[in-house]
Amino acid sequence: MLAHRALGLGPALRQAALRPRNVARNPALHNIVAKRSVQTESLPPSAAQEILNKQRLRRPSSPHFTIYQPQLTWLGSIANRVTGAGLSVLLYGYALAYLVAPDTFSSVNVVDFIHGLPEGVKYAGKAILAAPFAFHSWNGLRHLSWDAGKFLTLKGAYSSGYAVLGLTAVSTVGLLLL
Amino acid sequence: MSSALVARSAFNRNVAAALARRSLRPLAVQARGAADSAYVPGGPIYRGTVNDPTPFPPPSKTHGSYHWAFERILSAGLVPLTVASFVTSGTNYPIIDGLLGVSLVMHSHIGFDSILVDYLHPRKFPVLGRALTWVLRATTVGVLVGVYQFNTNDIGLTELVAKVWHA
Repeated sequence: MLAHRALGLGPALRQAALRPRNVARNPALHNIVAKRSVQTESLPPSAAQEILNKQRLRRPSSPHFTIYQPQLTWLGSIANRVTGAGLSVLLYGYALAYLVAPDTFSSVNVVDFIHGLPEGVKYAGKAILAAPFAFHSWNGLRHLSWDAGKFLTLKGAYSSGYAVLGLTAVSTVGLLLL
Repeated sequence: MSSALVARSAFNRNVAAALARRSLRPLAVQARGAADSAYVPGGPIYRGTVNDPTPFPPPSKTHGSYHWAFERILSAGLVPLTVASFVTSGTNYPIIDGLLGVSLVMHSHIGFDSILVDYLHPRKFPVLGRALTWVLRATTVGVLVGVYQFNTNDIGLTELVAKVWHA
């Protein structure tokens, strides 16, 4: 139906098809004589939903996460989640390891193992533990202040965000020197 | 012309059948866990037709405001608890150490649960989301047992961190 509308040939084709006098006079033959130049298949109206869904599955989604400008707001938010998840994975991993093999992962073994590592590795390891812990703690306080209704403007979010970054740096250095 | 009439009466029959199905559809949708069309990541999820309303979970304070308040109180309480347990020591104050262990594990569990709800919501991932939620719960139970064992049979979490820090 859409094909001959687009081409503008519908009326012409219909007239040509119906011009033989016996067809034009006999309404029963209207169904049999071809009126379209394009092959179509006959589907019931209930098939429409499935066709629509299949087409929707093929549609691409436009880029969103990959093109969003990096900003303190959402970078701080995902950093809060990543640091929290990382520290929790460490906690969960050690607790399960100790549950499964308490002799291998006893505190004596762990302390001895770390004692045997080179100084540089020990400092790096402490920094890798201290920085996420510090950031997550300070950002957690920022989150709780949002829940209390503070810093809920754009300026407030940015100033508290920069404060958290500064405090994280200071705290990490402090924890390393502890 | 007659073909159009035939099509229209068939359409009417379909509409009547669809209306009969539609009245029972909410029950069917609740009973059926999977989507009507296969879910493709980035693609649409469809249950029922586009005219069916989005189903919402039943309102419950346990999963709503009480959960929110509990999460904030726990997070706020972790701050003085951490300070207290590192100022004292695990051997002298094992109760504070134990409290810290349990609170940390609960805080981590709520965090992991939020990650699952945000990225693998059961509405969009009916099988994987639900399965991982239960995997998380089982893991948390295991971790709680492990933390208890460690605090009882070994030196405890705060002592471990202190020793590792000065190893």
